[in-house]
Amino acid sequence: MGIAILILMAIGVVLMLTRILPTAFALALLALGIAVISGAPLTGGKESILTGVLQNGAVTLAATMIAVLLGSWLGSLLDQTGIGGTLVRKIVEFGGERPAVVALGVFAVSILCGSITGSAPAAMLAGVVGIPAMIAVGLRPVAAAGTVLMGISAGSPLELPVWQFMSDALGAPVSEVRTVMIRLFPIALVVGIAYVLVQTRRGARHAWAVQLDRPKARIRRGDAPWYALATPLVPIVLALGLTVPIVPSLLAGVIYALLTTTKWGDLNERALRSLYKGFEVAAPPIALFVAIGMLLAAVKLPGAKTALTPIVSAISPAAPIWFVVVFAALVPLCLFRGPLNVFGLGAGVAGVLVTGGIYPMTAVVGLMASYNQVFGVSDPTSTQTVWAAQYAGVRPERSMLSTLPFTWVVGLGGMVLTAVLYL
Amino acid sequence: MNDLELAVGLLRDTPTHENRTGEQLRSWAQTALEYGDELAEGPDVETIHVIEREGGVRKGEVLLAEHQRGTVIVYTDALRRTEEVARSRGWSVTRESLRRAAVAHEVAHHRLDVRELNRRLGHTAARLGPFRLRGHVAGADEIAAHRFAHRRSGLAVSPLLLTAALAGRD
Repeated sequence: MGIAILILMAIGVVLMLTRILPTAFALALLALGIAVISGAPLTGGKESILTGVLQNGAVTLAATMIAVLLGSWLGSLLDQTGIGGTLVRKIVEFGGERPAVVALGVFAVSILCGSITGSAPAAMLAGVVGIPAMIAVGLRPVAAAGTVLMGISAGSPLELPVWQFMSDALGAPVSEVRTVMIRLFPIALVVGIAYVLVQTRRGARHAWAVQLDRPKARIRRGDAPWYALATPLVPIVLALGLTVPIVPSLLAGVIYALLTTTKWGDLNERALRSLYKGFEVAAPPIALFVAIGMLLAAVKLPGAKTALTPIVSAISPAAPIWFVVVFAALVPLCLFRGPLNVFGLGAGVAGVLVTGGIYPMTAVVGLMASYNQVFGVSDPTSTQTVWAAQYAGVRPERSMLSTLPFTWVVGLGGMVLTAVLYL
Repeated sequence: MNDLELAVGLLRDTPTHENRTGEQLRSWAQTALEYGDELAEGPDVETIHVIEREGGVRKGEVLLAEHQRGTVIVYTDALRRTEEVARSRGWSVTRESLRRAAVAHEVAHHRLDVRELNRRLGHTAARLGPFRLRGHVAGADEIAAHRFAHRRSGLAVSPLLLTAALAGRD
């Protein structure tokens, strides 16, 4: 039965890779297939297909969906109120004579954007102005795209919706997820800075180049006041410093952004318009989280657990050093929607590792967070990578080649950290 | 359109300037063009290594030349494309003058002093009482490089106009 489930998972990966099915649909079908192979009854209690997998599975990540929605709302506000654009413009104006300063500044803004929201919207927040600005001061286009992506990824360990996702998906308390993420952040930060410095030390590249179809820069929305620029820090400070729960932290960020940028009479309209935009931005990840919830429910069915645990246990290294070596070598499997992508089939694998008791919960959180650092930057099929690379005028695969040596190091660092602290 | 109008358009399309006043952009464009003129009057002191290769016509981009670490790469297929675009508009442009302009454009980037250009542009990024922090004007160095290339290459048409034509914005 275990082999049959693995074959089904492999078919699912092929369907996702070849784009025959969107990832969310493939994962939902995979969940159904695993449930059927596991011998789960169609109806009945919590371990049935209709109730356990479809009904309960669909809402497993409900808290994550709300966090993603609020993060997207806040991201839309950063855009509509001009906070994101102002941050980047100020950096270009202050540091434009030195490409390294501009790149490090855009990297820092990208961290802030990545800590609020994820995927392409985060890349757009920092990159719409930041990428052409970096190219204008002499960065190579591939490095400009990579700088934004590395920044977003460095912000990811501080992204509250990601904490909620790890907590919901793996059943770990948010406090434990937070502990892992805070320890991962310095590694992503240091390697990200190294990427920027290596790229800028290659010397400024100037060119007589004509962009034929790059989208025009957006209409400038005017500068946001200086005190509004602290908006991205509000949720982080509340959640990290004062251990306020995730949803109120994000709501506080939304309220702060509205009050510092919007006239009293315009509050309702702006709040509603940005909220609806937030729904639009959050729709793809929420669809994915519904499907991931079903997949997690399916791999936790007694039949699936009994079938998969011995296989996964046999191939999962026990010694800390082999944990690092094996899982670091498997890093490419989180790319191209591969089986270790935590926002895909990787969530199911993580579920098996946890429910089978193969590794401690915190170790699985650390492992998946490490893969997320690679996937978030280097996967040429992820929306942020595709958007940033194409906006800079390079192919996503070139962006992957530029960033992968660095993100692999971040992933490796995360795994070493996990092995040392939690195994 | 004359060079000043084209330069204003270039600045307008550069992120960070979207909503600046036309008067402000015109003033900056004029200063940058004058800086390019001044640079072109100076002597050539640096040694630039020039190589030619294909591969400048890419998806979404035409790359005529680039400069990195003292070497200028001129893309011959991009020069051909530019020549075709110029010919289709009835402009008399030779491949050799285009090549000279492409090299000169990159020499200008090598030579121009961005700090000095920003000083002349006089943009204030922040002010605290009597203290002013000078700001960078993105795109101004590109205008100066185009003007330098025009002066040095003997092109019959301004590189700013050729750039706009290639992008379909003329």
